[in-house]
Amino acid sequence: MSFLEVKNLRKSFRLTDSLGRAAGQLVAVDNLSLSIQQGETLGLVGESGCGKSTTGKLILQLLQSDAGQVIFDGEDLTQLSPRQMRPYRRRIQMIFQDPFSSLNPRMTVGSILSEPLLIHRLAPPRQVRDRVIELLEKVGLTAEHEQRYPHEFSGGQRQRVGIARALAVEPQLIIADEPVSALDLSVQAQILNLLQGFQQEHNLSYLFIAHDLAVIEHVSDRIAVMYLGKIVELTSADELYKNPRHPYTEALLNAVPVPDPDQPRPTALKGEIPSPVNPPSGCYFHPRCPYADDRCRQQQPELLDIGNKHLVACYYSEQVGRFLLQK
Amino acid sequence: MPPRLAVNNLQSYFFTRTGLIKAVDDVSFNIAQGETLALVGESGCGKSMTALSLLRLLPEPGRIVGGEISLDGRDLLRLPDVEMRRIRGNEISMIFQEPMTSLNPVLRIGEQITEVLQLHQGDTKQQALEQAAELLLQVGIADPGRRLREYPHQLSGGQRQRIMIAIALACDPKLLIADEPTTALDVTIQAQIMDLLLELKQQRQMATLLISHDLGVVAGNADKLAVMYAGQIVESGTVKRIFENPLHPYTQGLLQCIPRLGQKNNLSTIPGQLPDLRKQLEGCLFLDRCPGPCAPCGHQSPENKEIETDHWVRCWRY
Repeated sequence: MSFLEVKNLRKSFRLTDSLGRAAGQLVAVDNLSLSIQQGETLGLVGESGCGKSTTGKLILQLLQSDAGQVIFDGEDLTQLSPRQMRPYRRRIQMIFQDPFSSLNPRMTVGSILSEPLLIHRLAPPRQVRDRVIELLEKVGLTAEHEQRYPHEFSGGQRQRVGIARALAVEPQLIIADEPVSALDLSVQAQILNLLQGFQQEHNLSYLFIAHDLAVIEHVSDRIAVMYLGKIVELTSADELYKNPRHPYTEALLNAVPVPDPDQPRPTALKGEIPSPVNPPSGCYFHPRCPYADDRCRQQQPELLDIGNKHLVACYYSEQVGRFLLQK
Repeated sequence: MPPRLAVNNLQSYFFTRTGLIKAVDDVSFNIAQGETLALVGESGCGKSMTALSLLRLLPEPGRIVGGEISLDGRDLLRLPDVEMRRIRGNEISMIFQEPMTSLNPVLRIGEQITEVLQLHQGDTKQQALEQAAELLLQVGIADPGRRLREYPHQLSGGQRQRIMIAIALACDPKLLIADEPTTALDVTIQAQIMDLLLELKQQRQMATLLISHDLGVVAGNADKLAVMYAGQIVESGTVKRIFENPLHPYTQGLLQCIPRLGQKNNLSTIPGQLPDLRKQLEGCLFLDRCPGPCAPCGHQSPENKEIETDHWVRCWRY
């Protein structure tokens, strides 16, 4: 049994029109299964609206799933009452994209960091301040930052506060939802290194959600690629990059701009991302897929193991790679 | 042939209550017809303020205090306001990062495109509508007749950016300023939009100023590159030369901290952050973050020097 095991998770949202009448439903996450070991990073990549963030929230029980299980350290979190869930809220923490909107602007950084320590009774009140300063130093800030408010910090520093807050409660699993996509390049590298350092130090597990394939590939042991609420490919980071077996993964790899003027320009995938309210028939990717035929338009391929724990949902996975740019 | 756009020693300062900020400090560059210059740098380095200076649209309390901006030989800084208004959206157009906030949510797409055409080219409503439909086809929007009657919220992010491009290109500008045109878009859509911009540039021979923080986008789409730091251009040259042989320690640092597909080494970082430009700073502005400062860096600001043909750097090492 893995440390985190997500089985057949499903979440739909009911849509209403401006008068509150039912207007269809949006399936944000559809029959999603994944697992994370202790000390492992699973990357979750996909374009906007594909359900990556919803998946993160479902694991933390910030949203209630329609069906499926979230088994963390042997306990199915979907079956717990809010009270029973409380200790797990300490053990699973979340880091958000925009550290400004996730930090209370009226609280000093010191009180932002001491609150979780007091709530979860992780330090005797007299030692809380020492612990806060220790946390600040751990994320590369100093004791003098304790009395300041979030608006006095730069984006990178605020993300450091967000990380310090998550680490304060000594979690075992961290769900990082686009933690570096709002940051500048030089700061992005600082934060990624910081996250990787803590992982080694504390044997943390990460679910790392991002849309940037180069970032995901850099931090992850394994990667799951999502398209319209479904995982279409899941394998080790190395294998995904060298040997993509789903046409969408291939297209994503081809679309990443390479910082080298001698390399070919990225090739564009045709078409738009379909609306999850009204997904295409058959395989959801078929309208944009260069390999698709009639079967793909009618039937939906299942996510299957094609060997070596490489999961792919495509009828023509052995053909994929024909259009891959050599970078 | 003289360059289409020549910017010489441009200085745009902000006179804030807490002090003077030199947002654009002695910036020079030029762009030829059909050429793309990329301006790269981190947030707050002055990229966007440079672009807004070209249009003379600096927000308060900013002012252009010195320098020269010449478009086809005319100095834009000496033009009366009336003439400048004729140039904006006509000879110089701009597209922005977030198409949703730059399109008017309560006007139909058609009205927003025809407005430009009627204003600058004196088209009748009917002529303008026909031309707008033609423009939409050129930027890859199918069924233009229907799209012209729709509102911005009915379109996806990629389509909105296509509409912005159509508006910007409506009057066949000499200079297009693209400020982070794909930052808000998904990767597969980003590739489509960059292809479109390249194709249109080649057809129309526009000069393009591409503002970006993504060195991957820059590598595939620009001819020349200028790296900005704290209001100054610290290195400039052809994209090929700078990627092959970056000279300024800041450029070197930026190129090393990009995660690259297929490489799992530890990322190197640039320690520290941008200096507070409100303080009176002496010497090189990059000093605090530089891995190898030398003797004069602390008290004297380095000059912009040409190290090899068309490769300039502002650093005491050279």
